[in-house]
Amino acid sequence: MVKHPPSKNKLLSLIWGFILSFIFILPVEAKVFNAESFKLENGLEIIVIPKKTAPVVTSMIWYKVGAADEPQGKSGMAHYFEHLMFKGTSTLAPGDFSKTIRKLGGNDNAFTGQDYTAYFETISTDKLAQVLRMEADRMVNLSPPPEHFASEKNVVLEERRQRTENDPKGLFSEQMLSALYTNHPYGTPVIGWMDEIKEYQWEDVKKFYDIWYAPNNAILILSGNITAKDVQPIVQEAFGNIPKKEIPPRSRTTIPPSIGSTTMVLNHETINQPTFQNVRIVPSYAENKSDSLALQVLQEILSGGPTTRLYKHLVVDQKKAISVGFSYDSSALNDSTLWISGTPAEGVSLEELENLVENEIKNIITNGVSDLEVKEAIQRLQDAAVFVRDSVSGPAMIFGQELTTGSTVENVENWPENINLVTPQQIQNIAQKYLDSENPWRRTSITGHLLPLSKSSAERKEDLK
Amino acid sequence: MRFSILLFIILFAWHSPAKASEKVLDIQEIKSKSGIKAWLVEDKSLPIIALKFSFKGAGSIHDGIEKQGLAQLLSNTMDEGAGDIKSQEFQKILSDNSITLNFSAGRDNFGGQLKTLSRHKDIAFNLLKLSLTQPRFDEEPLERMRQANLARIRSSMGDPDWITARLMNDKAFEGRPYALNSGGTLESLPKITAKDLQSHVTNWLTQDRLMIGVMGDINKDDLVKLLDDVFGSLPPKGSTDNLSSFEIQNTGKIYLYPQEIPQTIISLALPSIDVHDPDYYALQVMNYIFGAGGFGSRLMEEIREKRGLTYGIYSDTTNLDYTDFFTINTSTKNNSVKQVLDIIISETDTIKTQKVSQEDLSNSKSYLIGSLPMSLTSTDKISSILLSLQLNNRPINYLDTYATNINTVTNEDILRVAKRIFNPEKMISVLVGKPEHIENTIKIETLPNVQ
Repeated sequence: MVKHPPSKNKLLSLIWGFILSFIFILPVEAKVFNAESFKLENGLEIIVIPKKTAPVVTSMIWYKVGAADEPQGKSGMAHYFEHLMFKGTSTLAPGDFSKTIRKLGGNDNAFTGQDYTAYFETISTDKLAQVLRMEADRMVNLSPPPEHFASEKNVVLEERRQRTENDPKGLFSEQMLSALYTNHPYGTPVIGWMDEIKEYQWEDVKKFYDIWYAPNNAILILSGNITAKDVQPIVQEAFGNIPKKEIPPRSRTTIPPSIGSTTMVLNHETINQPTFQNVRIVPSYAENKSDSLALQVLQEILSGGPTTRLYKHLVVDQKKAISVGFSYDSSALNDSTLWISGTPAEGVSLEELENLVENEIKNIITNGVSDLEVKEAIQRLQDAAVFVRDSVSGPAMIFGQELTTGSTVENVENWPENINLVTPQQIQNIAQKYLDSENPWRRTSITGHLLPLSKSSAERKEDLK
Repeated sequence: MRFSILLFIILFAWHSPAKASEKVLDIQEIKSKSGIKAWLVEDKSLPIIALKFSFKGAGSIHDGIEKQGLAQLLSNTMDEGAGDIKSQEFQKILSDNSITLNFSAGRDNFGGQLKTLSRHKDIAFNLLKLSLTQPRFDEEPLERMRQANLARIRSSMGDPDWITARLMNDKAFEGRPYALNSGGTLESLPKITAKDLQSHVTNWLTQDRLMIGVMGDINKDDLVKLLDDVFGSLPPKGSTDNLSSFEIQNTGKIYLYPQEIPQTIISLALPSIDVHDPDYYALQVMNYIFGAGGFGSRLMEEIREKRGLTYGIYSDTTNLDYTDFFTINTSTKNNSVKQVLDIIISETDTIKTQKVSQEDLSNSKSYLIGSLPMSLTSTDKISSILLSLQLNNRPINYLDTYATNINTVTNEDILRVAKRIFNPEKMISVLVGKPEHIENTIKIETLPNVQ
């Protein structure tokens, strides 16, 4: 849910965390980033990640509040508020934040997830002090003029049309998550429902800002050719005088168990290629560290490339699928998701492909995985960490996402060692625990079938005209 | 594929250093014994090597109507086995060694990238060599890639952004190879054979078209040897073509592809100027002020910030080998399409009749110049720049002189280049959705070159 679109890729609209989790899969090797950290007296936590290639720094401030912390009936407000953060303070005119950053030769943007809201700038290192002063200013002095509330609400409505309403697949994914996360805020899309976006008032938004935006509810991450020693004085100068607040606990409702199976079907005229998706809840890293690490390795074994199980067996050997996916998102404060998806080969039904994927999973539940598979998967994951360091903003993204969803600096840095402890037995155990469809973990999964208009539904549509 | 990003390599708005005397990048131009040239930036801070290469003029432009998608299918298949190593084994070696090796087809160029940890560089370069010189094109992987492309087309057919790009390409480039569907069609893909793929390799992937950019943990001497080994045995020359430059077609027309969606996708294009045109730098500054700058650009300010009519609006310049064009892309709810189009036209009038303020001029220059280091933050980005500079036939000190070149742009230059670009009768418009109050549209019922 970014403030402005980097691309129109509809998949991005699913959930940012979904995409980011792929990035996180990558970190590795003892002390991946050699990050330094310190804290101001007002509780602001600072992480500094050294990266010397260019005289550039990415500054990201992550607030530990997201869409899942919105009051009921105000869906999308955290995201709408993120947009308003660019609409001026007592000393800065609306829009001048981004314009100033551009003038300094930098780029800025922001995004909102279920558990966090982040604002970032990438800029020449010598301009960092000025950027931090502006970031500190809008942490406390936001005051957008009223005429901007309405126009920005229209922008968000256009954003929702572009990302979701124009795309039946986007709408359908929202509905699947809604069915999965019964009684839990993750079932509400980050961008919010159309009708609720239209309704919220500045008073609601202001209350949200007053409650959650404070130095002791934020993490500032600086990645680039800087050190903690360099930045300590400028961070202190920019943020040091902002008082801390009493932050309420993030109380989240729980998801009740379910029985029975749920298959949702969408027949739509814009769909020409049948696909299926299946989503279930599984523990996030915050909830169960060792199971989460094992799920990460299992994902790599099942769908870590063209030579791993699902693609090799179903696409290459049996020719039953065009593509198959198994994707686990480890980053969330509460129950996370595991998506399985598939595009069948011509002449193969969705049900047949679903059964074949199910058999692959049953095979692991019954027979486990080999030592070699686990070893190779871990090696690939560890190697990938080196590539993650080859970027300025990538590491900041990883730290932000992990630290706002219950992880620690040590856990991020030691990820390669931790993942190295995963055993074949553990993988079989978690497969039994979370993937057995006959004995589901807490809730049955939700399956979605996306299909072209069937003849009968096409006829019905014709009748309606 | 979006119309505005037809090619990943063609145009960079990369800009120059604060101090013109300092080198932005320490680029070495190297030449191997067998005459293979490359631009190299050595960097030992990470144990990574990134190599990007391109065969200029070897892209989809040669597909022909019957074999649309050939170059793309080739790019999908070249890393699926080579020499004695079959597809799955080849991919296994790549993944066991964490090597990224892939190929990509643009409209003009055919290229690829190799990215590896330096400890695996010998294996990595050897696999690149094999895939370039002895690709297998076995039936199994070829068929698998064909099916994947067919599924991709079927999945895209309902995507309004994809439809918009398809229609714009078809109409703006009508009668030229660029009008064809470089991703292939449901009918053309099944006709492409292993022999077709092999002839494309033999005819077009030749040394005279080759350009290479390398960044990372490798020194000049090692690279020289590897270049000879990998590229030295490619044929020195291959086929030639007799294509000629043209201006985009069907200007002045508005095409509408009706879709039952709440928001209309809007894509506009106008003829533009070449990368070596004297007004090139003025165009970069004008484009930034007009619509490329994101927040603060005139289009974003008027259409999103003041009126809330869109989530995003961007202008862009694209330079292909045989044509150059300027694009504006946005989307808005169906009943505000007319208003958005009117504002866009009014902004083109303003920028071609009124000089931009000194403040706008200096702010845009400070972004264009000051943002240069942001494009140098990873081995990927740097190797891409090294390659794109060569593809655009830029001198090796291009980045070092960029600041000076941008700084010399005056507001008269901007006025002049805006007049050259913004002639409303030369604009082609594509709308996908259910726009209201738009007259004189040409309705398109069937999307061309998809089935």
